[in-house]
Amino acid sequence: METAEMPTGTLDPIPNLVEETLKKLDIRPEQIRFAVQSDVSSTGNYGEEWFVLTDAAIFTVTGEGEIPHYIPYKSMLGIRAEIVVDAGILVLETEDGTVDLIQYSNGCAAKFGFVARFIGDEIEFRDGKREEAPIWDYKPEEQFCQSCDLPLPDEFSPCPACTKKHKVMLRILSYIRPYRGRATLFMLFVILGTLISLAPPYFSRIMIDDILMPSDVDTAASEASRTWLSSIFRDIPSAALALSIAVGTLLGIQIIREIFTIFRLRLGAWLTFRVAANIRAHVYQHLHNLSIRFFDKRKTGTVISHITEDSERLQDFMLEGLSFLAVELLLFFGIGGVLFLMNWKLACFILIPIPIIVFGAGWFWKKVRSLWHRAWRRRSKLFDVVNDSVSGIRVVRAFGQQRSEVNRFADANVDARDYETHAEMIWATYYPPLMFAVQLGTLIVWYVGGLNIIGGTMTFGTLVAFHAYLGMFYEPLRYISPLINWASRSMTAAERLFEVIDSQPEQLDDGNLKTMPNITGEVKFHNMTFGYDSHKPVLRDITLHVKPGEMIGLVGHSGAGKSTLINLICRFYTPDSGRLEIDGEDIKEIDLKDLRRQIGVVLQEPYLFSGTIAENIAYAHPDATMEDIITAAKAANAHEFIVKFPDGYDTEVGERGGRLSGGERQRISIARAILHNPRILILDEATSSVDVETEKKIQQAIDRLVQNRTTFAIAHRLSTLRNADRLFVIEKGKGVECGSHEELMEQKGIYYKLVETQREAANVRAAVQAVEG
Amino acid sequence: MRNENIEKQAALAAAPTANPVPPESDDFTPRYLDASKLTFTRSEVGTARLEIRDEACHLRVVIRRLMPLSNPDSYISLAADEDTEIGILVNPSELTQESQKILQEELDKRYFTPTIQKVYRVKEQFGIHEWEVKTERGRVTFSVRGLNQNIKQVPPARLFVTDVRGNRYDIPDYRKLDAQSYQQIQRHL
Repeated sequence: METAEMPTGTLDPIPNLVEETLKKLDIRPEQIRFAVQSDVSSTGNYGEEWFVLTDAAIFTVTGEGEIPHYIPYKSMLGIRAEIVVDAGILVLETEDGTVDLIQYSNGCAAKFGFVARFIGDEIEFRDGKREEAPIWDYKPEEQFCQSCDLPLPDEFSPCPACTKKHKVMLRILSYIRPYRGRATLFMLFVILGTLISLAPPYFSRIMIDDILMPSDVDTAASEASRTWLSSIFRDIPSAALALSIAVGTLLGIQIIREIFTIFRLRLGAWLTFRVAANIRAHVYQHLHNLSIRFFDKRKTGTVISHITEDSERLQDFMLEGLSFLAVELLLFFGIGGVLFLMNWKLACFILIPIPIIVFGAGWFWKKVRSLWHRAWRRRSKLFDVVNDSVSGIRVVRAFGQQRSEVNRFADANVDARDYETHAEMIWATYYPPLMFAVQLGTLIVWYVGGLNIIGGTMTFGTLVAFHAYLGMFYEPLRYISPLINWASRSMTAAERLFEVIDSQPEQLDDGNLKTMPNITGEVKFHNMTFGYDSHKPVLRDITLHVKPGEMIGLVGHSGAGKSTLINLICRFYTPDSGRLEIDGEDIKEIDLKDLRRQIGVVLQEPYLFSGTIAENIAYAHPDATMEDIITAAKAANAHEFIVKFPDGYDTEVGERGGRLSGGERQRISIARAILHNPRILILDEATSSVDVETEKKIQQAIDRLVQNRTTFAIAHRLSTLRNADRLFVIEKGKGVECGSHEELMEQKGIYYKLVETQREAANVRAAVQAVEG
Repeated sequence: MRNENIEKQAALAAAPTANPVPPESDDFTPRYLDASKLTFTRSEVGTARLEIRDEACHLRVVIRRLMPLSNPDSYISLAADEDTEIGILVNPSELTQESQKILQEELDKRYFTPTIQKVYRVKEQFGIHEWEVKTERGRVTFSVRGLNQNIKQVPPARLFVTDVRGNRYDIPDYRKLDAQSYQQIQRHL
């Protein structure tokens, strides 16, 4: 049999077990074309089993070297990868009936899906149903990081393990670079402010020991507490004067400290909002260059909330957390140093409660945080219930279900109550002991310090100063655990933002892009296959040649692949295999800006942006003149209703055009497409969900719009496709019929059936109308 | 309308007909299959075959649970292909032992979702949780991204966990797991 080229290494390597097993059947290793491993054994449990294709047959080989299935190539009629619940089965049609060949979990679905498609195409080629041998172009999805094997968040994102946290921090700092002058100043304020904070307790010692209660005789204790500063105060003859100088100095220090704080906070705010805004701008700008696939994989809501939440979280942390962290850390070490200088023996004692505080606080915050989070989840569920029943209030009333809705709320309410109570009670139980651990240090200082005073080795002033420092010393410890948590979550938030920035843009300009300022509108599909997941092709082997200016009606059941075809023409996606050409150029190589400028779309549910009608019509051409806009509106049959609005073309359409009717929105979107003047036009069910009169108007507008443009139109009501030059019928992802209305009616195929069904439905409708009329 | 149909069915069932053709299906009356008339067998290549006595033999029927979550053992839909339902089998335990066994094997094949019986360990690393668990299909280790989107809770305590490869695992009631497993889950939920 003819075999296609198969690059090695794209599938599982062939294991010894398979080679040995097949050797027993006199099959040499070089006859094995490929082997694919399943993670499920034939017993249905996790294990391994191999699917093997040789040049003459298909085998399955178990982990024990048995061969449950052996099917000669010539008896194979077809093969498919059947999707079952959370798994897949490779099903083979043979001359002797259907065989369930091998089962695999969802994790292997992509490769088995590909294998089924490939072998299926080969069988068709063998039977002469296909002109070309299939091409082996399997591309495994990049699910795992290539350097550390950890799963990637998705195919667009960098590996979270390989992007280091400190790198994220450095990256944030790189956004500060333009403001480095102010940032340095900010750090200076932080350091100076902290140093100044250390002064007040020191002065209280001087006031007690040297001014208020100076000891008459020099004891060992007063010797020890004497410094150059205390000597100055001691030498002032009047105690009252010394006191006023000391208090005055203290006042001065306090004022300076507050001034520093003001400047620090102001500068911090200035810097933070600038950095956060710059990161946001960068992310948003990048967002618009990302491929549509990026948005497919996430819900639109998630993307929006991620970006706003993450940037807010990052901003909050930088604004409060970062400077808090810096100040508290500096204070911690500063005070520690001062305490050891003042009395290192006593300072050793205050270290005793530190492990209790740090570990206790760590455990406490972790517990409380998860409880609060759970309580918060219950409460948001409660709001979901409210939202649900209030939005559906008409249905609730109509079915008389007020009572059950009230009960549903009551259940959720009790649930939320219990969780919140539990969380708060845990907090109430463990917070006081934590405070006690902090108090413990104070008690130790009282006792040990007191003993020292009695023994005459320490002054009273030193003890008071010690106490004052102690409060400041333990303060940061209590919050160190939530702070670290906060920091790490903010880094994760930053990482996610950078993830968006690092994601691949829709099209990389490597200098090979073709600029096509004027396309004629010739569109060619050649054996094109595409699926949103590569193992589930939505379109298969589409071949179609559309001449410039031709109008093609796309016909098929819903889910047949019509909209997908259109998404590919817009190049929201690229074909998995085969070619899509515009004016003879591969669509992947055409400059997207040029391509999109010449493609116009009228969608089933036209999206209007908030703004005026005129702005919406001129969306793609903000510099269009009023005359252009009116011409377009006229051609779209929109002018007539626009003039009736009190604000005319200046009418605000409101969010998503909510103030306009469906037909009006549709005609504005047609006007938008007319003004855009595209070479290739796409109409996606443009006339659905409007009344007959409006449909006529829209149809008229569309007829004007399609003149001299290559048009692809999708419509459920086949009558709206009457102007199409050719109809292309898609059935289960394959192009099955193509030709004019008359030709296809003659063929009596799928199109004929569709027309007949609709005619019957129309007849019924007409009959009903006649009876009612 | 409904009564009429039942009467019609009853009349058809009672009427002695020459050829045993099933009552004409009218597309909107569900057909419940008589378990005593059903036999499942396996072909030489191992494909399941359904024989309905006096009516037909179907090769490779499509077997689906109507309530796979709340009532997986009853209400089984049997179909000739994806779109053509033959009928509904309410209570498979009325089948013969052999048929029951084949039906169960086919259901196990079609409903792969492993049930987690024990959680050995859940380890978090960079927002990816690695689970090591025991299921009825064997011990397995899998990775889950960002727990919130990939764990679906079905009230009151059923959990569905989806891993990075698209596999789904079922925990019918996490409160009924052993203490260690429960703790592992609670800690990360």
